[in-house]
Amino acid sequence: MISDLFSVTVLVGILASGIRLATPYLYAAIGETFSQRSGVLNLGVEGQMLLGAFAAFYVTLTTGNLWLGLMTAMLVGALMGLAMAYVTVNLQAQQGISGIGFYLFGLGMSDLLFQKLMGTVETVKGFPKIHIPGLSDIPGIGEIFFSQNILVYGAYLLVPIAWFVLNKTTLGLKIRSVGENPDAADSLGVNVGRIRYFTIILGGILSGVAGASLSIALLNVFQQNMTSGQGFIAVALVYFGAWRPTGVLGGALLFSLINALQLWVQVLNIPVPSEIAVMMPYVLTILVLVTSVSKVRAPSALSKPFEREN
Amino acid sequence: MTKNSRWVNVGFQIAALVLALLFTSLILLAAGAPPLEAYKNIVTGAFGSFKKFSDVLVSWVPLLLVSAGLLVTFATGLWNIGVEGQITLGAIATTWALRELQDTGLSPSLILFLAILAGMAGGAVWALLAGALKTFGGVNEIFGGLGLNFVATALTIYLIFGPWKRPGVASMSGTEPFDEALHLSLFPELRLSPWALVIAILAIVFVYFLLQGTYFGLRLKAVGKNFRAAYLLGVPTWQYMMLSFLICGALAGIAGAMQVTAVYYRLIPSISSGYGYLGLMVAMLVNYQAIWAAPVALFFAALNIGSIQLPIVLKLDSSLSGVLQGMLVLFVLIVEGVRQRIARRS
Repeated sequence: MISDLFSVTVLVGILASGIRLATPYLYAAIGETFSQRSGVLNLGVEGQMLLGAFAAFYVTLTTGNLWLGLMTAMLVGALMGLAMAYVTVNLQAQQGISGIGFYLFGLGMSDLLFQKLMGTVETVKGFPKIHIPGLSDIPGIGEIFFSQNILVYGAYLLVPIAWFVLNKTTLGLKIRSVGENPDAADSLGVNVGRIRYFTIILGGILSGVAGASLSIALLNVFQQNMTSGQGFIAVALVYFGAWRPTGVLGGALLFSLINALQLWVQVLNIPVPSEIAVMMPYVLTILVLVTSVSKVRAPSALSKPFEREN
Repeated sequence: MTKNSRWVNVGFQIAALVLALLFTSLILLAAGAPPLEAYKNIVTGAFGSFKKFSDVLVSWVPLLLVSAGLLVTFATGLWNIGVEGQITLGAIATTWALRELQDTGLSPSLILFLAILAGMAGGAVWALLAGALKTFGGVNEIFGGLGLNFVATALTIYLIFGPWKRPGVASMSGTEPFDEALHLSLFPELRLSPWALVIAILAIVFVYFLLQGTYFGLRLKAVGKNFRAAYLLGVPTWQYMMLSFLICGALAGIAGAMQVTAVYYRLIPSISSGYGYLGLMVAMLVNYQAIWAAPVALFFAALNIGSIQLPIVLKLDSSLSGVLQGMLVLFVLIVEGVRQRIARRS
C-alpha cells in the first residue's frame, strides 16, 4: 500500500539504503573529479570498476580475506590507471577514445576471468556492518548513518578529504592549475605529466574501490557487467557536481535516494505502474542533465593533451 | 601524404594488431585457455561457412552505418558519444512509423520505406539535440551525449512497458513482433537482407565522397582542424557542426531502423547493442579515413560473430572479443603515439 511508504520504518529503510547505494558513485566520481580537475577525461571508469569488482570478489572468495580483496582491487585499479596515464600523458592519445578502449577491455576481461576462474555466480560474506557505539542507538538516525559497513563510512570520509586536498593544499593548487592552464603551470615549474599521472592513478584506485564496494560490501556477488552503467553515471555526476567534491556528494545522494525509493516501492508491492518504477533512475539522469546545463565552466584544459613547447 | 608514408602507416596498424593478439594470448594463457585454439574457433565461427559469413555481414551493416556517420562528426572535430542514443531513437521512430502505418492498407514496401525515413529523422533529431546543447548551451558533446543515451534507454523501456506493451504482459523481450509483410526481405535461407547490405554500402560510399571529393567536406574538415581559422575565413562554423551532427544522426538512425526492420522485427530494450561504442572504435582505428572503415568494421563484426561459439567449445565466453577489441584500440593508440614520436625526432 502507498501508505506503507510513509511509515517511519520504511522511511528509515529508504534513507539507510540510499546512503549505502551512494558508496560506489562517491568513490568513482571523486576519483574522476581529481583526474578531470587536472585536465584528464577518463571514460574508462566503468571498466576499472568492473575489474576492481572482480578482483576483490575473487580474492575474497579464495582467501577469505576481505582486506586482501580490497587491496587487490586497488592494485588492479592503479594498474589500469597507470596504463591510462601512459597512453594519455606520454602518447597524448585522444582521451575519449582511450577511455572507451579501457571500458571495453575491462568489460571483456572481467567477464573472461569470471568465466574461466569461477564459472558460476557465488556469494561471499562481505564487510560487516559496524555499529558505532552510542550513536547507532539513536532511533532512526542510528540505523541510517551509524550502522553501515566500513566502505560506506570511507566513501563519506573521502568527500571532506578530497575537498581539503583540492582546495587547501599545494598539491590541490597544482592539480587545478594543471587543469586550467598547463602551460602556465609548466613555466612555474609544476611537472604537468607527473601531476596527471598522480590523478589518473588515484582515479583508477578509487574506481577499483568503487567496484569492490559493490562486490564485497553491498551486493556480495560478482556477475557479468554488474556495474551496469554506474561508471558512466559517475562521470556524469562529476559534471553535475560542477567538478566539486561537495557537488558530487549531492548528486550521488540524490541519485541513490531515488534508486532506494524505487527498490522499496518494488519490495512493498506498491501498485505503481511498472514502466514508471523501472524508469525512475533514468528520469533522474535526465534531470541531472537538464539542471546542470552550463552553470559552471569545465576545467579549461579538460581532455586536451599537454605538449611542452620547446 | 606520400604513398610511401601511407604504407608505413598500414605497417604500424598491423603491428598494433599483432601486439594486441600477442597480449590477448598472454591473458588467455594466464587464464588457462589455449590461445591458438581460441583464435581458430573465432575464424571458423566467422568464416567457416557461407551462412556464418552472412551472419558476420548482418552485424557489419549497423556497424558500418554507424562508423560512416561517426567519420563525419570526427572530421568536424566532434566527439559524438551520443551515437548509441541516436541508434536507439532511429529504432524507436521506425517502430512508431510501422505501428502507425501497419493497418492503413498502404503497400508494405511503401510502409517500410517511410519507416526507414522515420528512423533517419529520429536519429537526426537526437543528434541535433546533442548539437544544440553544445552550440547553444555550451554543454560538451561528451556529457550531453552520455545524458541523451540514458534518456533514449529510458524512453525505450517506457515504451516497451507502457504504451507499446505486448497484449497481456509487458516484458524485457520487447514489443509485439511485426507482421512478416513488414520485414525487409532476406536472402533465401539466410538472416541477411540484401536491402540492408546495399544501404550500408551506399552510406559508406556517400561519406567517402562527401569527405574526399566535395567542397562541403573540405569545409567540414576545416572546422575540425582549426575552428577559429575556419570561422575567420568565413565558414559558418556552428551551422557546419550542426550539419555534421545531422548527417551522423541520420546514418545512426538508419542503423536503428535496420535492426528493427531486418533483424529483430520489434523494439527491444538493448536495440543499439553497443554498436555505437564499437563504431567509435572503428572510426578512430581507421584514422578517420573512410576507405578503411569497411574492412575494419568487417573485422570487428567477424570478431563479434566468431566468438559466439567460444563458450560452447572452450568454455570461454564471447567476452574474449571484447578483450581483443579493447586491446586493439589501446595498442593502436600506443603505436600511433610511438609513430608520432619517431616522426618528431626525425
